[in-house]
Amino acid sequence: MNLEQLLPTVVFALMAGLLIALALVVVTSRSVFRSAIALTGALGVVAGLFALMGADFVAAGQLLIYVGGIMIIMLFVIMLSQRPMAKADRQTNDQWLWGALFALAVTCGLIVQFRAVYRGIFSTTVSMPTTVSIGRLLLGDMVVPFEAVSLVLLAALVGAVYFGLDYEKPQ
Amino acid sequence: MTLSLHHFLMLSAILFGIGIYGVLSRRNILGILMSIELMFNAANINLIAFNHFLYPNQVWGQGFAIFVMTLAAAEAVVGLSLVLAIYRNIKSVYTEKLNILHG
Amino acid sequence: MFELGPILSRAFQTLQSWVIAHGVPALGAWILAKSIQVGVVVLGVSLIPMVLVYAERKVSAFMQARLGPMNVGPYGILQTLADGIKLIFKEDVIPVGSDRIMHIMAPMVVVAPVFICFAPLPFGKGLVPIDLDIGVLFIFAISGVSTIGVLMAGWGSGNKFSMLGGLRGAAQLVSYEIPRVLSVVPVLMFYGTQSLNGIALAQQGRWYGIIPKWFIFYPVIGQIAFLIFLIASVAETNRTPFDIPEAESELVAGFHTEFSGLKFALFFLAEYAYVFVSSAMAVALFLGGDDGFSAAGIIPSWLWFLGKTFVMVFLFLWFRWTFPRLRVDRLMQFCWQFLLPWSIANIAFAGLAVLLIK
Repeated sequence: MNLEQLLPTVVFALMAGLLIALALVVVTSRSVFRSAIALTGALGVVAGLFALMGADFVAAGQLLIYVGGIMIIMLFVIMLSQRPMAKADRQTNDQWLWGALFALAVTCGLIVQFRAVYRGIFSTTVSMPTTVSIGRLLLGDMVVPFEAVSLVLLAALVGAVYFGLDYEKPQ
Repeated sequence: MTLSLHHFLMLSAILFGIGIYGVLSRRNILGILMSIELMFNAANINLIAFNHFLYPNQVWGQGFAIFVMTLAAAEAVVGLSLVLAIYRNIKSVYTEKLNILHG
Repeated sequence: MFELGPILSRAFQTLQSWVIAHGVPALGAWILAKSIQVGVVVLGVSLIPMVLVYAERKVSAFMQARLGPMNVGPYGILQTLADGIKLIFKEDVIPVGSDRIMHIMAPMVVVAPVFICFAPLPFGKGLVPIDLDIGVLFIFAISGVSTIGVLMAGWGSGNKFSMLGGLRGAAQLVSYEIPRVLSVVPVLMFYGTQSLNGIALAQQGRWYGIIPKWFIFYPVIGQIAFLIFLIASVAETNRTPFDIPEAESELVAGFHTEFSGLKFALFFLAEYAYVFVSSAMAVALFLGGDDGFSAAGIIPSWLWFLGKTFVMVFLFLWFRWTFPRLRVDRLMQFCWQFLLPWSIANIAFAGLAVLLIK
């Protein structure tokens, strides 16, 4: 097997290992701040996976929206709602064993189905830049969901502002 | 072992499972929200992988993934402002304290 | 005459063919050539902040009617080197009540993205390290990652003032990102590409023989876009008049109070490197990149690019000693109630102009 087939596989293996390790830190860490930073790392690795699959615009969008937007808000809320230096008590509730078993069952079911149906499909195309195609798609065939999503964002904005207002102080 | 579709699908299945475990077993509301974000990302990996391997000439999967990202952002924002409102009221972010409507 | 672009590409092709002739596969030769280019870019990113720190101290000194560093080396040229050596040998203090891993990783998360941001910049004809098709979006996305480092620094310091400084700093960075990105959209609308090299190339040429076809000379859209990008970049790099997060006379030193030695040096390296990246982007997007006035013979294109970038950097340094510091709430007000509506209005004007022209 030559270098051109080996290199994507090695890169994918490294990224997949890192992603699974970071995801495990997210769900098992005692400090919620560390979980958030691990989640940020995991989102960055997912952006790398998108770039590996040739989706360059979506990868940059993932970094911009998730890492540069959502995770910053989440870190803000964590920093504003924790007693900063409290070394935390345990973070898992009483039903963690059943949760783990259910998650294991779902994962195994999915993996078995995917191996059965989608084995052996390879990609042979050269990656092309996708920005123009995505622009044409969003404003062409997908224009109705595009406008609907902008209304959803407006509703989310109004909702967030409303919940964030503090009614105890005079405005 | 050339890179194939089912490698990416297995990765996203494992990520989805880890997210489910996080949602079902974390006490901290913020931990639950973070596990939901993991599940969203697993779905996004699936969408982009199907687009890349089965339909390389079109970008429907990537467009759909952008919508998923946007809606995840909207949901995270509303969820986090709710968490702030809850924290202001009961001074805690653990789920077992949220039982005022219980019984 | 001294056009580096063709010379370098011929050198790399010779290297690649020599390596291939010795049995290495083509992809391996390509990786080798790219690794050497990456090494050169990393070296440049490490050296440019040293020059900028010295320039800042000298320029600030001359604006304040004093001389600045004069002792170390002729006219104080080696001052930054001496400062760097001193910072390396300083004791590395990690506060007891802090989160160790966050404290250690915060400077890394702030500095690492800036090395990546240097990749799509068009340093001259044929001198783009990587000609990305999503260059502009890429730089904005990667600089957003540095904000996470600011939050980690605020949390990892273990005291409430640093945490507040980190929160304020991150809030400022996130808020000013929006007018910055929106102010670049008219440029993308006119030139139809996000590649910085493509945008710089599209600005070659002259109108009526005299006025260059730079974006800043477009009637109303160019000036508004350039001003909003400039102001938002000054805010993004935490320079005065927007430097509440690190104000030396206000919040002790904000979120990097508890960092000493090399970590402190890394924060400053990141700040000056981001100043250079913002100036280079402003030059590539609005000032024509490597377009020059001479007959394309005497002064090479990379010298034009570096000259224009250093003029923009001088603007950044000049702002520091001209404007007083903005208070935090007025800073936020300025962003959300002034810059953001104007940048959106600018997009509307640009859309109208594109419709009328094309």
